[in-house]
Amino acid sequence: MNIFCLGINHRTAPIEIRERMWFSDDEIRAIMPLLHEKQLMEAVLVSTCNRTELYYVPGEQITNGESLWQMLVRFKHAEETVQEKYFYSHSASEAVEQALRVASGIDSMVVGDVQILNQMKEAFGIAQESRCTGIMLNRLFHTAFHVGKRARTETEIGEGAVSISYAAAELATKIFEDLSKRTALLVGAGETGKLTAKHLMSRNLGTLLLANRTRQRADDLVVQLGGRAVDYEKIVSELANVDIAISAVEAPTYILSVQEIQQIMKARSNRPLFIIDIGVPRNIDPRANSIDNVFLHDIDALNHVIDQSLAHRRAEIPKIHTIIQEELGVFMQWHDSLQVTPTIQQLREQFEAIRTTELEKFIHHFPSDKKEALEMLTKRIVNKILHAPMVNLKNGTNGSLDSETRNKIDLIRRLFGLTTKHHS
Amino acid sequence: MAPAIVIIDMRFLVNLLEILLPFFYFCTIWAYAKAFFSNLKVAERWSGRFLLSTLLVHTMYIVLRSVEFQHPPITSIFEILSLIAFTVLVVYTYIELRTKNLSTGYFILMLPFFFQLVSSLFIKEVPEIPPMLRSNLLGFHVLSALLGYGALTISAVYGFLYMMLYHDIKSKEFSVIYKRLPNLEVLERMSFTATVFGFVLLTIAIVVGTIWLPRVLDTRSFADPKLLGTFIIWLIYAGGLVGKKLAGLHGRRMVVLSMFGFALAMFSLTIVNMFFSGFHKFY
Repeated sequence: MNIFCLGINHRTAPIEIRERMWFSDDEIRAIMPLLHEKQLMEAVLVSTCNRTELYYVPGEQITNGESLWQMLVRFKHAEETVQEKYFYSHSASEAVEQALRVASGIDSMVVGDVQILNQMKEAFGIAQESRCTGIMLNRLFHTAFHVGKRARTETEIGEGAVSISYAAAELATKIFEDLSKRTALLVGAGETGKLTAKHLMSRNLGTLLLANRTRQRADDLVVQLGGRAVDYEKIVSELANVDIAISAVEAPTYILSVQEIQQIMKARSNRPLFIIDIGVPRNIDPRANSIDNVFLHDIDALNHVIDQSLAHRRAEIPKIHTIIQEELGVFMQWHDSLQVTPTIQQLREQFEAIRTTELEKFIHHFPSDKKEALEMLTKRIVNKILHAPMVNLKNGTNGSLDSETRNKIDLIRRLFGLTTKHHS
Repeated sequence: MAPAIVIIDMRFLVNLLEILLPFFYFCTIWAYAKAFFSNLKVAERWSGRFLLSTLLVHTMYIVLRSVEFQHPPITSIFEILSLIAFTVLVVYTYIELRTKNLSTGYFILMLPFFFQLVSSLFIKEVPEIPPMLRSNLLGFHVLSALLGYGALTISAVYGFLYMMLYHDIKSKEFSVIYKRLPNLEVLERMSFTATVFGFVLLTIAIVVGTIWLPRVLDTRSFADPKLLGTFIIWLIYAGGLVGKKLAGLHGRRMVVLSMFGFALAMFSLTIVNMFFSGFHKFY
């Protein structure tokens, strides 16, 4: 099989190398014609923050000069830092399997990452625009998208929170039914706190309040996130009307004591209060978790959620392997079917089957002395019909199959509904 | 030739359904357990089918038994247990059809399964039935009380599920309970709705019991242990409902109160009935 994969990812190269080899969409568009010049019949370049992979089908004449990895490195002007040792390459079924693994999410840095499938679709779209895809990579990428979809619908590989902010937002939905009727207060302006607020907003949070020691920063956050700024000094009184509190400030001591939270709970008629403490050192006295209807989660607790989600996702990997093997098998069968001789043979068999069936239906209308002639006649018609396509197909084979012949075979198989013979 | 007429002996049918019912409940619970723990879509489809089949079979059993023995199934503790199982099943089916949420079925249906199992194992024909147990008024009183207790049972199970999820979130142990159950607020609402439902029915049962029944019962006494027990339960639930409205009882406290009320109700239904004497003791 003439499919190859050349790549660099989080397992083979550190971040400094990966970022040098990251290709923007425009860079991919720019390198595509160069790859064609390099005698690649088909090529798709997938580039994300954790991987850059080139899937390709080489032409008949491989240029012996500069190798593909050198070309990619030179394009990025990274000759001094990026060496051959960071690259891996796969060929034939291993290259196909690699594409399927990537699409399924099990090859991602965070197992089950949902972004990768979209990134592969975008890369494939650019390659199609640049007219760099053909029958092999079209089929390969559609198989990969199918695997990605199956992985997400048939397994739980993408389930559970794998970031602090997402875990916090998910926990909120396990306490409250409808976030649109809830108010959250973000204290501090840390990145994780902001992301948590964003996740809550994306889940239809009713009201967002923002407090910061510096009022100006709170006002700036309002511009970024929406919501309303409140005075830092008033957070205790505000908490009486807030359902979710996110605290992410740098403070040497607790900004809320157990006694204060007890007072707050009285003031709020003991309605549930979810507090996310992502400050290090912690902002809220951890003993507050023992108060009725107070759910206090610190950074360790949220990391624990992430660990559990990742463990659950990893437990799904065997199911993904099964899906990959099934789809790899289908791909290989399709690939094997793209051969001239078996296609001609199957086509002949199909036509012969039609001929004999139809002949059997009507042969009794003819006198017995004409039956042999009828047999000959129908055979001749079938042979004549098949002659031209067979000659055309055979002419395409000069040792190895070129792309045009593969396209013809694929078209014939689909037009005449020739099924793929299953491997035992 | 005359067509063969197959006559099914009614008593045989009642006995057969009596044996089959626990199996139906078991299959239903099994399907719900599979759907909950393994998240199998097939099990989700089958759980609904089993639920409706069990409801159908149990309805047939209650009707046929009432017709065959010519009295409502309230003459022994084991008939009552089967009736409680039935009422829990009816209320749960209603809740599931309304909320389209299957995740609590496994936990709720454990109770009717257990009740029906005990009933099927020990039920026997009562040789002499006191005439008043054939009274329709008593039937209405008992049915409203049992439907009320059925709803309170469901409320308590939702309360129990609330406590499990509450504990999971508080202790940062995110088990399958955390993943599959609806959120705390929904569980609290389900528990509260069932409580209100049960409280109203219990009120009706008490009103019927205290106003009309003394007219037909000479041995009545307002100091009867079960009557007192039921009244105390009623007071606790009334206090809880008023407390929620006035004192803002929320979350865990409300749920704990509901479970406490249920424990007392069970005590009143079983222990008091077995060990204390009074006019309310018929068997």
